[in-house]
Amino acid sequence: MKIKVVMSKLGLDIHWRGALVVSRMLRDEGMEVVYLGNQFPEQIVEAAIQEGADVIGLSTLGGNHLTLGIKVVQIAREKGFNSLIIMGGVIPEDDIPLLKEAGIAEVFGPETKIENIAAFIRSHVKSGIA
Amino acid sequence: MANKQSQSNQETLGKEQKLLNQEAIKTIEKEKERWKEETVKGKVGEKEYYSDSGIPIKLLYTPDDIKDLDYMEDIGFSGEAPYVRGVYPNMYRGRLFTVRQIAGFGTPEDTNQRFKFLLKNGATGTSVVLDLPTIRGYDSDDPEAEGHVGAAGVSIDSIEDVEALYEGIPIDEISSNIVTHLPSTTVVILAMFVAMAEKKGIPLEKLSGTNQNDFLMETTVGSSLEVLPPKASFRLQCDAIEFASQNLPRWNPVSYNGYNLREAGTTAVQEVACAIANAIATSEELIRRGNKIDDFAKRLSFFWNLYNDFFEEIAKCRASRLVWHDVMKNRFNAKHPKSHLMRFHVQTAGLTLTKVEPLNNIARAAIQGLAAVLGGAQSLHVDSFDEAYSAPTEESALISIRTQQIIQTETNVVNTVDPLAGSYFVENLTQEMAKRIRDYISEIESRGGLVSVVESGWLHREIADFAYQMQRDIESGELKIVGLNYFPSEQSKTKVEVFRYPESAESTQKEKLRKLREKRDNDKVEKALRVLRQKCHEDVNLMPYIKEAVLAYATLGEIEELFREEFGLWQFPLV
Amino acid sequence: MDQSLLTRFQQKDPLVLGKLLREVENQTSLGYEFLKLCTTKTGNSHVIGITGPPGAGKSTLVGELCKKWSEMGYSIGVVLIDPTSPFSGGALLGDRIRMMELAKNSGVFIKSLATRGSLGGLAASTADIVQIYDAFGKDIIVIETVGVGQVEFDVMNISDTVVLINVPGLGDSIQTLKGGIMEIADLYVINQADRPGADESVRDLNMMIREKKQLTWKPPILKTVATNHEGIEELINEIENHKAYLKTSNLWNKKREERNLKRFNTQINQLFHQKINEFISTNNHIENSIVRVKEGKEDPFTAAHQIFEGFLTDHNIK
Repeated sequence: MKIKVVMSKLGLDIHWRGALVVSRMLRDEGMEVVYLGNQFPEQIVEAAIQEGADVIGLSTLGGNHLTLGIKVVQIAREKGFNSLIIMGGVIPEDDIPLLKEAGIAEVFGPETKIENIAAFIRSHVKSGIA
Repeated sequence: MANKQSQSNQETLGKEQKLLNQEAIKTIEKEKERWKEETVKGKVGEKEYYSDSGIPIKLLYTPDDIKDLDYMEDIGFSGEAPYVRGVYPNMYRGRLFTVRQIAGFGTPEDTNQRFKFLLKNGATGTSVVLDLPTIRGYDSDDPEAEGHVGAAGVSIDSIEDVEALYEGIPIDEISSNIVTHLPSTTVVILAMFVAMAEKKGIPLEKLSGTNQNDFLMETTVGSSLEVLPPKASFRLQCDAIEFASQNLPRWNPVSYNGYNLREAGTTAVQEVACAIANAIATSEELIRRGNKIDDFAKRLSFFWNLYNDFFEEIAKCRASRLVWHDVMKNRFNAKHPKSHLMRFHVQTAGLTLTKVEPLNNIARAAIQGLAAVLGGAQSLHVDSFDEAYSAPTEESALISIRTQQIIQTETNVVNTVDPLAGSYFVENLTQEMAKRIRDYISEIESRGGLVSVVESGWLHREIADFAYQMQRDIESGELKIVGLNYFPSEQSKTKVEVFRYPESAESTQKEKLRKLREKRDNDKVEKALRVLRQKCHEDVNLMPYIKEAVLAYATLGEIEELFREEFGLWQFPLV
Repeated sequence: MDQSLLTRFQQKDPLVLGKLLREVENQTSLGYEFLKLCTTKTGNSHVIGITGPPGAGKSTLVGELCKKWSEMGYSIGVVLIDPTSPFSGGALLGDRIRMMELAKNSGVFIKSLATRGSLGGLAASTADIVQIYDAFGKDIIVIETVGVGQVEFDVMNISDTVVLINVPGLGDSIQTLKGGIMEIADLYVINQADRPGADESVRDLNMMIREKKQLTWKPPILKTVATNHEGIEELINEIENHKAYLKTSNLWNKKREERNLKRFNTQINQLFHQKINEFISTNNHIENSIVRVKEGKEDPFTAAHQIFEGFLTDHNIK
């Protein structure tokens, strides 16, 4: 079964390089990646539900991980959508426990090998509906 | 001018200006062959070496590698054409490069405090970065701004915020750099800055500084939710430049941003070529509007990104001055010497900073900063070691200033001008970079010019392809990064103190906006915005109308919403 | 089959629609279970295929159409198809970004599919996805084909109305499309019609259409500038006209009958393939025969015939 990933930049964050490179490389890892560009939490979750995504990937360098990042998890869970939600970008170490507690499955820093992200996804993917 | 040179080889052969005697060159070439056979053979492997932007690098450079160069025509003296050696005759003996550290977070009041700290510790100008809502044209109380207010820069909503930002800062004495990024942001912030100065009674000719103002930032480098069409953004870019060239004689109304283009994903060659292509497009547009090239060309400035490929980056700095001189003199027929010289700011490369072993970044930034000085930069920002974690703390920002001060005072590199000139390698590389920059500009122009390659998404694809390839090279180990894939770090995480944005900024800014909207004369705002709206559809400069609007306390978000309505939104190309 | 899933589907729970589309996309047994249940309840949606070369602005136009339709009160299901990378089997599905504005509108549901090796411009699961949308009660289903340049015929087989989009200055691509252009489209759109050459493109198309005199439906040619919302209403009217034509000419029903039959045939073929492949892989002596064919020592016709006979005997068919 092909893994489906919905990838988005969070809010106004302008740096598209990371999200796009990761998207292309997850494609190279055999995954199907729906790239959303810049979106806010409501739209990201809506898209993930419609696509039946296994994974929501969030990218941010703009410092909005604690606000908008956590909001994505909250909206998804409220709607009963239980896909894996992961995050990448420039995130302070101290915030990672907070994000994980809120339901972000893993946080990947700027130097993560994409194959490691892919391996993490493969071992954690579960169905969109609990 | 390698091309021109080789064409006119026959006539210049034997002329006095030739860098080297042609008889001696022949001997050297012959000896070089012998040396390869007798001395080198068997001592070097098959591996080929390339610079970061893909230029083949030889084992050894010798006089024959610069045999076509004519000293006066291709290199010259500092402060004279073709400005390869530097734009000022005395370079750093006359004035050291400006130590310019970016600051910007929280409310304008927060950033004002940081300005004062940096100035007290030896910074010689202010440099401010704006938060994302401000850059992308939303007020702090806009739903789109949630979570971003004061986060990665300072929040500016109205002229009151600009006044608070520069409270107690002598803007008539020291230069103010404003990292406005987008033209749509620039026209509003610049209007606020100018209006503030007028209110304070500061003559406009005393204002010195730079704003960024690059339509590539708006349409190519950064993605966003709502993007103005390239043509509209380009028009605003030109409006700000035209306005400043007529009213602010010491202001640089544009800093063509090669830097962020490079961060997004280009080679050093593409970085410079796109920036110059933008300056060419600007010049054509301003001339179309009836301006003379010499009225504005001297106010165009550039912004480069220096990576770790030490000599290529130095050659890039020198080559960019060479190409610019050629473009201004020969293409636009600019007469004023100041129009021919390219001034640029350098920031060390954010993308080369690693999160592993972050203190190594101090070494990287120092090497890059040294390259900037050897390349003749006018001002410098040295990245702080913790920028792969967050915005710099006071401590790390201080190390960046100290790094610059060490280069300025302890290394003695500033004592002589362009010390690497005459190096066979550096001169050869300078010529090769110049050639490749010209070729890439030609490629852009063959596709209809810079605005067209943005509209078609061609430039976005160039960037995306480069970024993708670079990541693949890092993952395969072909591109080596110390601590990451070369001698990977074994140490556990270094404890880095993280800078925390003031969380109260959003509520403070919202409250200020609420009060502002209450106390201002809303009829006056309406009227100013109505005029501006109408002028959007006329072939006029919008700056005076924007200034009227900000003086009436129209907010940044209100003005930019008007732009979005009048110019429409553009769909970011799929890459 | 989980009964609550069916109930929630009937209650139009988007979460369940997303899940079932995903099951069908992956051709899981749950997906088939569900397809069995809903087939007889379908046939009401107007299925519109949008095709055309890359860069013609298909996604933008689909976005504009959907915005208008949802304003008119229609509920819409969209299928966007992008190519699968032949190297990795993965895909980068980027069309959705053009329609994100629609996500705010609950009447529009968007599903991105990768071709996964299909060559005709669609994904193998497209017909099944359409079926699920249909059963869910979507008034309009829009399929945007891959759009890699050649004529993508598969879209004809599953759509009621096919719209072919082109842009001015792509004269050459009209030429390449010419082979199938008359057969495929019910409507032609010249998008980005504010660019030079739009009228020439319209004229070229008109000439091609006039060559086919026997048509009972004369495909209209429209000009749009999707990025400026121009020409969208006219296009919607023509699509509506075509639907009316299909209904009055009874082609509406005929197309559905053909589609049902085609799905039946596809299924039969698939089942048969599966059986014969099982037979081949479980009989060692056949493998020897195949090796001989591969090495050119035995002719493929005799070998195939013998294996087929063996298969019939094995299943007591004569």
